[in-house]
Formats: sequence, C-alpha cells, structure tokens
Amino acid sequence: MTARDRILSAIRAALPHERPAPDAISAEAKALLADPDTIRPRLVAEGLLDAFILKAEAIGTTIDRVGGMEAVPDAVRRYLSGHGLSLSLAVEPTPALTALDWTGLDTGTTLAPDQPAALGKALWGIAESGSMIVHSGADTPILLSFLPLHHIVVLQESDILSHLEDYAAQLAERPHPRNAILITGPSGTTDIEGSYVRGAHGPGFLHVILVASTD
Amino acid sequence: MSAPEASVQVSFKNRAKTALADRTLKIAIDRTTGTAEAKRAVAVAAFPEFQAARARGRAIKDHVIAHLDHYLEQFERNATASGATVHWASDDAEARAIITRICLDAKAKLVTRSKSMLGEEIGLPHALADAGIERVETDLAEHIIQLAGEAPSHIVWPAMHRTREQVAELFKMAHHLPPSADDPATMVQSARRELRAKFLGADIGISGSNFLVADTGATCTVTNEGNAELTTTPPRIHIVTAGIEKIVPTTAHALSLLRLLVRSATGGELTQYTTFHCGPKRPGDADGPEEMHIVLVDNGRTRMLDNEFREMLRCIRCGACMNHCVVYRQIGGHAYGGTYPGPMGSVLTPVLNGLAGSRDLPNACTMNGRCAEVCPVEIPIPTLLRAWRIRSWREKLEPGSLRAGIGIWAVLARRPGLYGLASRIGVRALRLFGKGGWIARLPLAGGWTAHRDLPRPAGRTFMEQYRAQQAHKGSRP
Amino acid sequence: MSGQPNPRVGLFVTCLVDAIRPSIGFSAIQLLEEAGCRVEVPQAQTCCGQPALNSGDEKDAAALARQTIAAFEGFDYIVLPSGSCAGTIVHGYPDLLAKDPVWAPRARILATRTHEITSFLVDVMGFRPKGRRLSATATYHDSCAGLRELGIAAQPRALLAEVAGLEMRGLEGNDVCCGFGGTFCVKYSDISNAIVTEKAEAIERTEADLLLAGDLGCLMNMAGKLNRRGARTRCFHTIEVLAGRADGPAIGEEG
Repeated sequence: MTARDRILSAIRAALPHERPAPDAISAEAKALLADPDTIRPRLVAEGLLDAFILKAEAIGTTIDRVGGMEAVPDAVRRYLSGHGLSLSLAVEPTPALTALDWTGLDTGTTLAPDQPAALGKALWGIAESGSMIVHSGADTPILLSFLPLHHIVVLQESDILSHLEDYAAQLAERPHPRNAILITGPSGTTDIEGSYVRGAHGPGFLHVILVASTD
Repeated sequence: MSAPEASVQVSFKNRAKTALADRTLKIAIDRTTGTAEAKRAVAVAAFPEFQAARARGRAIKDHVIAHLDHYLEQFERNATASGATVHWASDDAEARAIITRICLDAKAKLVTRSKSMLGEEIGLPHALADAGIERVETDLAEHIIQLAGEAPSHIVWPAMHRTREQVAELFKMAHHLPPSADDPATMVQSARRELRAKFLGADIGISGSNFLVADTGATCTVTNEGNAELTTTPPRIHIVTAGIEKIVPTTAHALSLLRLLVRSATGGELTQYTTFHCGPKRPGDADGPEEMHIVLVDNGRTRMLDNEFREMLRCIRCGACMNHCVVYRQIGGHAYGGTYPGPMGSVLTPVLNGLAGSRDLPNACTMNGRCAEVCPVEIPIPTLLRAWRIRSWREKLEPGSLRAGIGIWAVLARRPGLYGLASRIGVRALRLFGKGGWIARLPLAGGWTAHRDLPRPAGRTFMEQYRAQQAHKGSRP
Repeated sequence: MSGQPNPRVGLFVTCLVDAIRPSIGFSAIQLLEEAGCRVEVPQAQTCCGQPALNSGDEKDAAALARQTIAAFEGFDYIVLPSGSCAGTIVHGYPDLLAKDPVWAPRARILATRTHEITSFLVDVMGFRPKGRRLSATATYHDSCAGLRELGIAAQPRALLAEVAGLEMRGLEGNDVCCGFGGTFCVKYSDISNAIVTEKAEAIERTEADLLLAGDLGCLMNMAGKLNRRGARTRCFHTIEVLAGRADGPAIGEEG
C-alpha cells in the first residue's frame, strides 16, 4: 500500500460512507461564499480609486498620479531624483513599458542581485486592501518585484478591482500562472521584538504610478 | 515517543521554572505578544463583519474536512496537470525521506528554506543536516534561531524569545559585514546583505504552504518579508511541504480565510506578499524553478478525523491563541517542549508525540477560554484540552496522589450528609493553622501557600449557620 | 423577564462559599428575597463536580452532575454566586451526560434554568438594589468562566452603579485570567504565581480600596496574593457589596 492509499483510505474510513456527488460538494463550497458583503470589509471610501489610494498609502506605499502612459517615464525620473537615486533602472520587458520613450534614463532588463530600482506593471489593484497583482510570465520576471530596493509599479486606474473575490474571479478566467502574487505594501518584518522595519528581503520602497483612464 | 512519565513531567515543570526565572525572556515575550494583542484588537474593531467572517471561515474548514479525500484528489489532479509532482507522506519519517531523496538526486549542496512549521514538525532541519546539505533559513526570525541553534518559540514569531540586544550579538558574530548598531532597522539591513547571495545561489528552495487550492492545484504562501518568493524562484527545484488539512476549494476561499489569518496573527489586513504557486515555470517564463514538488503530509492528521480532536484540523496557524494565553505569556514557547507551543500546541503535541510524554500540556491551562474567544476559526480549545485530560485520566496517566485525592473527595461529595460533616470538621481543622484572618503555611497545600496566603475559614460552614437560622425561625410561632 | 413575580429559587451556595465564606451565601439569599424570590437551600447539594471534570474524571463528575440535577430540578430557577460553577451546570452537564438517554434531557432542562446570581438579578428579575450607600473606591475583575461561558460583564457593573458613593475604577487587564484555574493553581503553582503577581500589580496600580469579583476561587487567589504582598486592598464578592455587607470583614479579615 502506498502512502497515498493509506492516507485516502484512513480518511474514507473516518468519514461517512454515503457521500454527496462532486457537484453537490461544489455547490456547498460555493454557498460558503454567498452574500460576500456580510463577511468582508467595506471599502474605506466611496469610489474604488479613492479607497485604493487610502489603503495603499496607509501601508506605506507611495503614489504618483499621471494622465496617461506617456507620462510614466517622467514620473519615474521624478521618483528616482526625489530619492537621490541614479537615473537607471530595470524595466519589465512588457510591451506597454518598453514602448515608452525612455530617453534620458538608463533602462535595461537585467536584474542585479542588489538592484537599486525596477519598474513593473501590475495587472490589477484591489481597493479593499491597497494590493497590486503581478503574474509571472515571459515578460514578467518574478524577481523584478523582489530584488530591488525600490519597486515602482505602473497601475491603470481602470484596473482597480473592488475586493479580493473580484481578483479570484479574474484569475479563474485564465490559465493559472506559475506565480500569482498579491503585493500589499513594501517588504517588512516585525521579527525583532515586534517592531516594524521595512525592506527585510524584498523592496523597502513600493511606489505606484497610477495612470488615469483614457476614456 | 513515550519517555517515562515522571521525568517528562519534571522536565515540563523544570522548563517552565527556568523560563519564569528568566527576566529577559519575559521582557521579550511581553514586547511581541503585547504588540500583537493590541494590533489584533484594532484590526478586528475596524472590521465589523469579523464575527460573521469567522463563522464562515469555520464553515469553510469544516466543509473541507468533511470532504477531505475529494479535495485532496482534486488538488493532486490539478497540481499534476500544472506540471508539479505530488508526493504523499504518512508520517514525518516518510516526509523526510522524500525530501532528502529529491535533494540528493538533484545533488543539491545549498537549500534555502522559507519558514514552515510543518517543516519543523517533520524534523526537516535535522534531516537535511544529516544528509550533508547546507540549509539556510531565510525568514528573519528563522535566520536568528538558526544562528542561535534553537527551535522556534512561536509559530508566527519564531525568535520572539530573543531581545534585540541578543539578536545583535548573534549577527555580530555570524555576519560577514556585522551590523554597526543594535536597532532593529540596522540588523534587518545586515540580514538582507548576508542572505542575498544565498537566495541566488541555492539549488533547491523549500517552502511551506498556508493553503492548498484544490481547483487550481496551486499552493499559497504568505510572508511579509518577501523571502518566500526569493526562496522559491531562483533555484532549479521548488519543494512545498503541506499538511493535508491545508486544503481549500478555490482561490476565493483561500483569500476569505486569509482575511482572518492575517488580522488574527499580526493585526495587519493582508500580508505584504501573498503568492499562489502553481507548477514549475511555464515554457518561455522569465524565471522560476524547473521542477516543483509538493509533499502532502498526514503525520497524525487522519487520526484526528474521527476522534475528539477533529475540530483542531480547522487551525490555520495564526498564533492568536498563544498571544492571548496567560500561561504562554509567562513561560514562552520553548517550555512546552513540542513543535507547536501555547494552547494549540497543547492540543497538537499529544497527537504528534503521544499523551504519556506530554500530559502536562493539556493540564497546564487555567481553562479561562481566551484562546477560544480569539480563535479565527472558532476552535473550542479548552474543550479539546479537557478531552485530553479525560483520556489521561482513563489511561491512568495522572499521578496517583491526584487520583487518590479526587477519589476520596468524590466519595464524600456524593454523600451530602457525610460531606457536610467533613466540611464542618475541615473548616475547624483549617482554623488551627492560621492566626487572624489568614493562613500563611499549610501542610499538603504548599502549592498555594508558597506564593499566597489562604483566607482562614469562618468558624462554621454556611450550611451549619443556615440550618441554625431555619431552626430558629421554625421554633418561633 | 420572568413570567412569575415570585419564582421559587434553589440556591446552590457552592462548596467554596459553604466552607470559606458563608457571608456570600447569606448575601445571595438577601438579594434574591429583595428581588421577590422564594429562596430555598436544598440540603442534598455538595459540589458541582468541577474538580473532577477539570481533572478528566468523567465518572465522578457525571455522578455529581446527576446528584445536583436531582437536588435542583424541582425549582423554577437554580442560582449560584459563581460564574464558574454556573457555567459547569449550563455547559458542562449537558456535554457530560449527552449520551445518557435519561439524564441528558434533564441536564438540558436544568441548564436553561440555571443562572449566575448577578445575571439572574438583572436579566431575569429586572432587579436593582435600593438605598445602598458605600463610600469607597473599587475595581472589578471579570472572572473568566462567568465572562466567556455566560457573558457576564454588564450585569454586575449595572448593579454596582446603584450603590451611592461607590467609585468604580478600571482595572488594566480586567478580562485576563488571575491564574487560579482550580487545581491549576496548586499543580502548576509557579506559573500560577507569576500570573497572579501581574494581576496583583495591576490591582495595586488602581489604588482602589476594594477589589470585587464574582467567583470566590479567583477572589481567594487574588486576595491571598495581595495580602502576601502587603497590599491593603480589601476583597469582597460583588454581591456582598450589593447586600450592604462591605462594612463587615473582607476576605481574610477576622469577623
């Protein structure tokens, strides 16, 4: 008998013999998420955008708002200069970012182990928690969100979802990536005496460039 | 597994006594649990739907446990379809063997690990050392205790028993570029510098899992530091260890439970990084491991399905029960002697290590119920601890003196006339031991009078006085 | 509120009150009668069985449960000056006797009629003491079983608010266990001592004249520690103050 058989037969021996059909189990599982508004936090502001900004800033994320994608390189320059960093950064090789005019900035796609700054694009934001979502892929290395000290993220205002469930629904509609990551504030730790310190292993600075909807 | 009863009892009490005498330990525990308790209270107050969410969280876990085989098979199918290899381990030894074999087959020299209590439960750190594989703990707290050669003392803050000054000493000795000061920020920077090369040079990354998502085959890991992604991305192989009770039906169920987990654990709303790992890197992906192995571990969990401890399978390992436990806050985690300390550990350790060697744990509890009050999935921990006490009594593991004492007392208590007589004699006898209103020393009650005075009883019992009053009333017309 | 204006109440004085502090039992009778109850004290009562239950001795605990049920099931209500003993009857007995076809229903019925005294006075009888006066400062510790098993928090405070001249002071960690825990305090006396030491320090910081609580076990633990530390805090059961007995000897004072 394999361990798999031993475990599954031990479970079956302990549970009732009469078992519902898989469809009935799924229906029961779905019912456990019914009336989501009664079991999740309300948004902290009326609109998704305002709620997202309030939550993100509350957890230490900084935000810059721009009118369109073409304004992103200037916003990046502003951020780097503001933090006294050299005008150089790793840029995620996603067409929406590489197509921009990066004149005057030293951009590349390789990541150094101690990369000072990197720019990526979030698929969605979540108003409930101020989170942003990144999926791994050919154009989206996972480490780009973790190696730099300064992580700059481009997020379209129109991509802000209301609650975590809304993201789960989006994820269910497409092939699951190797990594689906919710980023909620800069890296932090409370491991020494419970006191909060930023930049434990991941980025100590998380900066969002919020791009206004064009419509 | 079953060390002689007496020696283990002595050792729990001895460990507790040592911990009680350690003032530095007390300061460290108070700093972390005090902050955690306060922050949780704020987070719960800011989420008026918390109690409703908690009831639903409990229902989700109960549902999964009632259909555990169905969900495990579904998970296995989907994880396999994503390209991961699923392994099953009945116990800790099987789990260790599977993981060591993967490491040896891959000729791994360096393994990075992100914090997982299951890894501790199955004895993974020792197994890797025995196999000659260098293990680097990447969670900051685990890094601290690895340097100190210790086991975790808390399931969320494994190094909470150490003060900043003690951490600074460890880092100054071990780090290549030692921290220049002992404030937490400087020390965190030092660890960041020290561990970076390890992350990128590891052959294998091992992580735990907070949730296994049945309908996608993904494993979910949450951290605040980002060390899980740095552990699981650069190496060629990613190994996940997970208890079979970690399963949830869908991503949405996992996220719903996560709201409860984080608020209960740290008082945050979400962890900084919540990652669903699903299979190895896809063809063309910019980075990620080439192999993903998932080791599903039973190790006593299926035994809990049809006994008194089934509700413990709901546990999502938030640690709120220990942060709010008066006993844990006095003695810290190491005194408990198991992988899992505090109230939840006092339920689980007898499952994992046998009751004979751990009967003190369910007894060393005042039954005040605060753990159950804060448990995000409504586990009735005091009831489960009482169930262990019942087993311990039935199996005659309780000390003979206690059994005899309770026995004699019960014989009297079941005979009201005799009990009244014994009480009347007892209170008069007790009065002989004190003067004024207090008794400072009482034979056979040293446990009480060593630390506090005992009020000297009034001269007559309530029943005596009451009967006299009634007789007096009755004698009047 | 009760349908009956003058319910017949069986008072379970509890074994600790019987032996150590009868004044609590007499305070209970006084208050229940003031509230309009007809009070009786069944002579067949001894202990609710908690020491056996918490030691894992189900057999003796069940025997005591049956004895208590038989002694009290004829009353409209059973009232106790202890949240922990009341909790044992309300929650412990139905669990303990769940598999007994004869006694399970009787345990469940008794559970519905059982009340800790302050909650009975407020929630069932709608009672408030009249004309009480006590010039003192006091702090209140929420005993765990009453608080978490029976939800007793507002009722004793509402009753104490009726005592003119009594100034209540908040206690830091008022809902944190005092370290008594029944046999716990002697089996793990070092741990218990560490817990009650912190409790005593918090009580001393209030600088209140009186410490009040609703369970004699917890009171003995805290009072005994306060006395050992040389504190002058006087300790009473809540209902002793409500019955106007705080001018008499406190716990540990000679009468």
